Amino acid sequence: MRFLFSLLILASLLSYSSCDDDGGGSSTDNFDRAAMLLSWADQVILPAYADFLEKSSELQTSAQALFDEPDATTLAALKSSFAEAYLGWQSISLFQIGPAEQVGLREQVNAYPTNTDGIEANMQSGSYNFELPSQRSRQGFPALDYLLYGSAADETAVLDRIVNEAALREYILATSERIHQLVSTVRETWVSSYRQEFVSLSDNTATSSVNRMTNDYVFYYEKFLRAGKVGIPAGIFSGTPLPGHVEALYNKALGKQLLLAALESAQGFFNGLDNSGVAHGNGFTDYLDFLNTVKDGADLSQLINTQFEAARQAINNLDDDLSDQVREDNLLMLTAYDELQRNVVLIKVDMLQAFNISVDFVDADGD
Amino acid sequence: MKTSNLTFLLLLLTCLVYTGCDDDDGPSIMEPTTYSFERDGQTTVSFSGQTARIQMGEELISAMKNPAVSAATLLEMFRNQTESGGDANPFSSAALNDETKSIASKVAASEDFFSSNTATQAAIRAEFEAWINAQVSEVYPRWEELATAGIAGQIADGSSTRYVNAQGLEYNQLVNKSLIGALMLDQALNNYLGTAVLDAGMNRDENNDGIVATDKNYTTMEHKWDEAYGYLYGTSPSEASPVATTGDDDSFLNKYVGRVEGDDDFAGISQRIFDAFKRGRAAIVAGDYDERDVQAQLLREELSKVIGVRAVYYLQQGKNALAQATPDFGGGFHDISEGYGFIFSLQFTRQPDSRDPYFTHEEVNSMLDDLLGDGSNGLWDVTSTTLDNLSNMIADRFDFTVEQAGS
Repeated sequence: MRFLFSLLILASLLSYSSCDDDGGGSSTDNFDRAAMLLSWADQVILPAYADFLEKSSELQTSAQALFDEPDATTLAALKSSFAEAYLGWQSISLFQIGPAEQVGLREQVNAYPTNTDGIEANMQSGSYNFELPSQRSRQGFPALDYLLYGSAADETAVLDRIVNEAALREYILATSERIHQLVSTVRETWVSSYRQEFVSLSDNTATSSVNRMTNDYVFYYEKFLRAGKVGIPAGIFSGTPLPGHVEALYNKALGKQLLLAALESAQGFFNGLDNSGVAHGNGFTDYLDFLNTVKDGADLSQLINTQFEAARQAINNLDDDLSDQVREDNLLMLTAYDELQRNVVLIKVDMLQAFNISVDFVDADGD
Repeated sequence: MKTSNLTFLLLLLTCLVYTGCDDDDGPSIMEPTTYSFERDGQTTVSFSGQTARIQMGEELISAMKNPAVSAATLLEMFRNQTESGGDANPFSSAALNDETKSIASKVAASEDFFSSNTATQAAIRAEFEAWINAQVSEVYPRWEELATAGIAGQIADGSSTRYVNAQGLEYNQLVNKSLIGALMLDQALNNYLGTAVLDAGMNRDENNDGIVATDKNYTTMEHKWDEAYGYLYGTSPSEASPVATTGDDDSFLNKYVGRVEGDDDFAGISQRIFDAFKRGRAAIVAGDYDERDVQAQLLREELSKVIGVRAVYYLQQGKNALAQATPDFGGGFHDISEGYGFIFSLQFTRQPDSRDPYFTHEEVNSMLDDLLGDGSNGLWDVTSTTLDNLSNMIADRFDFTVEQAGS
C-alpha cells in the first residue's frame, strides 16, 4: 500500500517534471486566454468588488450610527451589516492579485485569530496606526467579531461596554472605515491602471495574468479555505485541535456560513460565474473542457465540481459554530478537511498540468 | 599433554584471527549505540557550559525583538558582564545569571583560528556588538513605523512582522545566524575537535592511563570532545540519543542540521554527524587517536556543509521572493538577513585535512559587501544576479549545487 503510494507520487513527479521541461514558457493550446482575462476582470472581479463595497459602505454607516447613538437597536443593525459584509468578503478574498497583493488586503481585512490583548491595548492608548504590519491582527473583521460579540461576558455586557466606552465605539468605527477604505483603494487601482495590465498579459509565462491568477486561486484554496478555515482549527498542522482558531470565533453562528460562502465563491470562480451566479463561459471549467481534459475516463471539470459538492455535503454536516464542532466532534471537521483536500490534488496537480502552468509558490519553512 | 597442546594451538589461532581482524590499528573500539560513556558506573559525558551558552544565545536573540530592552542589557547578555567588567544579571534564568561563562568570550575564540589572530577576533566581536547597538539605536526607535527604502522600521512578511534597518537587514537575524558560525561552529570544529586542544599538555598520556581531571570523572581529552558535541546537542531532551529531535532543540546549529536533513538532497547528514561524534568519542576511550581524527575530519566536512547549504538556500529563497511580479520585500529581506548570517558564518567553517576555512574572513567581508552593494539602500536594491553569483560562489567550494541547496 505504502509502496503503491510512493509509486504514485513518483509517477506524478515524473509526469510533472516532464511537462515542466520547456520552463512553462510557451502555451501549447489555442484557448483564448485574452478573452478569459477580459471576462474575469469585467464580469467577475470588478463586479465582485463593487458588490462588496456596497456592503462595507453599509457597515461603515451602521458603525457611525452606533457611534452616534449607542443602543440595542443600532447595535443590532451593525451586527447585521457586519454579517452581510463578512459574508461578502468571502467572494473577493480569493482575488489577492495586483493591488490587493501589494497592500496585503487579506492579511489586514481577515487575519484571525485576532489579537484581543492588542485591541484592548490600542483602545486604552487611543493611538494606533493600522498601516503597520504589526497591527494586522488588531483590525479587520476578526477584530469587529471580538468587539461586537466577545469583548464582554455576554450580549448585555457587550452592549453595556459599547454604551459606556466611547473608545470602544471609536475602535469599531475606525475598523469598519479601514475595511471599506482598503477595498476602495484596491478597486480604484484596478479601475485606473491594473485592469489594463491584467488583461494585456495574456500569454503563458510565469508573470502573465492567467498563470498568476490561477496560482493565486490555488494558493487561496489550499492555504485560506482548506487550511485556514478548516485544517488549522481541526489540528491538522499542529497535532492538537485549535478551536480558538476558527473564523468568527465570537459570533458563533457565522463560522459555517462563511465557510460555505467561501466554498461557493471558489467553485463559482472555477465555473466562471459572476457574483449573482451567471456563467460567462470563461472559467477554468471551460478551459478544461476546451482542452478536453480527461482523468480516469471522466471529465476533469466534472470531477472537480463533483468534489466541490462532496466538500459542501461534508460542511453541511457541521455545527454553525465551528469552534464547538472542533471541541465536540472533531471527526466531522476532519472529514470536511479530507473532502476539501481531495480537490487540491485535482486542481493543483491535474488542472495546472492541463493548463501547462507551474506552481509559483512553495511552503515556506516557517521561520 | 596432547589435549593441552591442542588447546594451545587453538588459542594461538584465535589470537591470530583476532589481531588479523584488528589490522594492527592499535586498540579496538567499543562503540556504544548511544552517546553514553561511563567510568566506574558513572557517566563521563559533560557539556553544561555549552548548554548554558546556547541558552544565553536564545535569551539574547529573543531580547533583540523587545524594544523595551536597553542596549546595556543586551550587551550584558552578550558578555555576561557589566560594561565595567562587573558581575551582571541580565538573564531571566537565575542559573544563567550565576554562570561565569559568557557568549562573547567564546566568539571567534578557537585555538586553531584565533589564538594568534586576535585582531580579527576583536573585529568580529566588535561587529556583534555593533549589530546589538544598532538594533537599539536604529531599529527600536522606528519599532512602530513603516520601513521604506533607506529607512528602518517594520515590514510585513505574510502574517509576520519583520523589523529591519535602513538597508533592509534584520539585526536580530544577523546576530542569531552569525553566532552559529562564530560561537558553535568555531568552538566545535576549530577548537575542541582540533589536535591542538585534544592533545594539549599531557592529555594523551592521561587519557591512555585513564587519569581523570581534578574532581571529575572524565579525562580532559574526553571532555574536550564532549564540549564540541555540546555545541550541537547541548539543549537536546535526550543527550545520549539526540538525532530524533535534531532540528527542534535550539535556534542555532541544531536547528539547521535539522533543516538540512529535511532537504531530500541531504537526507542522512544528521545521522552521519551524530555517528561521527559517537565513534570519535569511542575512539578516545579506546586510545585510538587516528580514528578519532578521522571522525573529526568528517565532522568538519559535514557541519561546514550545513552552513554552506543554508547560505545558498536563503539567498535563493530571497531571490524568489524579490523576483515576483509584486515583490515580497518583507519575506525576501527576512530570508536574506538569515543568509547574511550564514555567509558570515562561512569564515568559521573548516575544510577537512586543512588549516583553512572554506571562505576566509576577507572573502566573507567581500561577499557581504557585494550583497549590499547593488545600490545605496542595500537589500532594497539587491539584484537576482548578485544573489545568484554569491550562491554559485558558495556552492562551487562545496560538493553540492545551487539547485540542491536552493529548495
